[in-house]
Amino acid sequence: MRRLGLRARVTAAFAVGALLLSALMALVSYELVRHSLLDERERTAIRAAYFDAAVVRTGLDTETPDVYEVLRSLDTGGSRRALVHREGQWYARTADEGPSGAVPAGLVAMVAAGEPGVQRVNVDGQPALLVGLPLSKSTGYYEITSLRELEQTFQVLALALTVVAMTVAGSGAALGWYATRHGLRPLTAVADAAEKIAAGDVTARLAPGTDPDLARLSTSFNRMVDQVAERIERDRRFAADVSHELRSPLQTLSAAASVLARRREHLDERTATAAGLVVEEVTRFEHLVDDLIELARSDRPAQREPVDVVALARRVCRAHGLPESLVRPGPGAAAVLWSVDPRRVEQVLVNLLDNAVRYGGGPVAVRLSRTGGSGVVEVDDAGPGVPPVDREVVFDRFVRGRAAHARAGGDGTGLGLALVAQHAAAHGGRAVVGDRPGGGARFRVELPGALS
Amino acid sequence: MAGVLVIEDDDRIRLALLLALEDEGYVVRGAATAEEGLRAQRQDPADQVLVDLMLPGLDGFECIRQLRRDDDVPIVVVSARDDTHDIVAALEAGADDYVVKPVAIKELSARLRALRRRARTAAAPVPVYAFGGLEISPEEGEVRRDGRPVPVTRTEFRLLCELAEHAGRVLSRQQLLSRVWGYDTGDERLVDVHVGRLRQKIEADPANPRHLVTLRGLGYKMQR
Repeated sequence: MRRLGLRARVTAAFAVGALLLSALMALVSYELVRHSLLDERERTAIRAAYFDAAVVRTGLDTETPDVYEVLRSLDTGGSRRALVHREGQWYARTADEGPSGAVPAGLVAMVAAGEPGVQRVNVDGQPALLVGLPLSKSTGYYEITSLRELEQTFQVLALALTVVAMTVAGSGAALGWYATRHGLRPLTAVADAAEKIAAGDVTARLAPGTDPDLARLSTSFNRMVDQVAERIERDRRFAADVSHELRSPLQTLSAAASVLARRREHLDERTATAAGLVVEEVTRFEHLVDDLIELARSDRPAQREPVDVVALARRVCRAHGLPESLVRPGPGAAAVLWSVDPRRVEQVLVNLLDNAVRYGGGPVAVRLSRTGGSGVVEVDDAGPGVPPVDREVVFDRFVRGRAAHARAGGDGTGLGLALVAQHAAAHGGRAVVGDRPGGGARFRVELPGALS
Repeated sequence: MAGVLVIEDDDRIRLALLLALEDEGYVVRGAATAEEGLRAQRQDPADQVLVDLMLPGLDGFECIRQLRRDDDVPIVVVSARDDTHDIVAALEAGADDYVVKPVAIKELSARLRALRRRARTAAAPVPVYAFGGLEISPEEGEVRRDGRPVPVTRTEFRLLCELAEHAGRVLSRQQLLSRVWGYDTGDERLVDVHVGRLRQKIEADPANPRHLVTLRGLGYKMQR
């Protein structure tokens, strides 16, 4: 199972803690309120029972007492019921009103022995308070006080307290969520800064000294970024210097070689051959330097912008003397701008076409399509295809086609496909080679995020 | 044939460029420093100037700015530096085109030829294109804003005419590259920086252009 995030865990802990605490509080308050209300009710009931017993005793203190009449004279309201136990006989206000069975035998015995008693009982499934008072040797007075209303009050109270406990737990969770958001804000800032840096903005820093507790984090983070930025800048300067130092003499060579080439027919055969070699190798050296410099800097993030890739592909074909009809925009890829680095995609196309011309018997199609949010560039050729063992290796640096070795020459730089792979990687994608249905190789470059 | 001034501090490169460009039919002069080049251009102006960026003393950027102050001579930067930063800075200083060393002589020659072309004459001669207070007169080679002449370089003028001729329609950066600079395929930053320079001159609020507008991902358009 995946571990919960810090924030979720803190929030859950807050919620559980708040729930426990509020439930305990609710339980304690419920019990306290219940006790005090019940005690209060009991005292009232006993007082009322004594009063009623006094009335009954007076009523019965005659020659021929009518117990029913006496009971009826009592003002007991709706919640109390009076019973008289006289010489083994139960009397109530009405004949049918005889919940005498609810009076436990123990209490009857106690009252008969001359002791007053109080007991909680259930009458017709309702909670009630039973007060038994001895009137004389043979007569006992009993009063049943219904506790139904009180019980309802308890239920309402319990419900209210439960709701309060739940609310408190919910608030605890919200507080936890809120508190962690604040607590984690510095981490969010670090993540944001790290993302910016990864995207190439090495000027991103954490604001120092906003919070003394986090000063160490921001200081060390910023120092790390400083060092990374410095190293990147040093590398960049080195690459720029190397590029400058290589390109300047190449300019002399290139211009001088063109002067030689122009006068080739005026040279003797040996010199002309030598001049031809110089011209060719200068050209190859130029490409090699270009590709090397490109490779050195291709780990930089892609500079994405909206690009009409179909038009770009047609233009590249035209510029390389290939028919524009090679370009086959697939459904969902034509008439849509791709969000890609145009310079890199152009080089991907140039290098794949160049590869097809050099080693693949010429390109037969340039397919532009989409899978999900990825733009897909495919270049098909008419060559012998790439054997499965070589399919990883062809994208390595300085690897040339087997055909090139067979020809014992090859004027490629051996960096073209490595650059294709790097450009794909700069877009977060990859370059692969497979078989084309019907023979030949199919180079496929996926550019995620181009169409999302 | 046309005169080209090569401002390049590396003696060998300068000599090789001189030889190769002369082979292409150009009359070429060399200058080893920006100061020498500026002096030469003032005394006997060449039709086109090639400038290196890393020069002793005054650097290439400043050299371009000073050349540009005097006239609209087409300037091509020939530099071993190919950082976006350098390219954009050189173009913003006023260069018309930018090539990275090593450049093939045929390519350099093609660039120079493209910059020498005058504004393409429209199919049906239009005396003046008007966009609000902005007037472009292809025949006179003049741009006026609210009646006052606006100084533009030859390349800027060709770009403006191209856009004005197709007013209301979007021209992609590649179309503009091919029509104005003669590139089959080239660096679109060339167009972007030139459009930026033009806006500084013809728009009342260059940050919020009214006439020369950008259509993101598509290109540029002139509108009234």
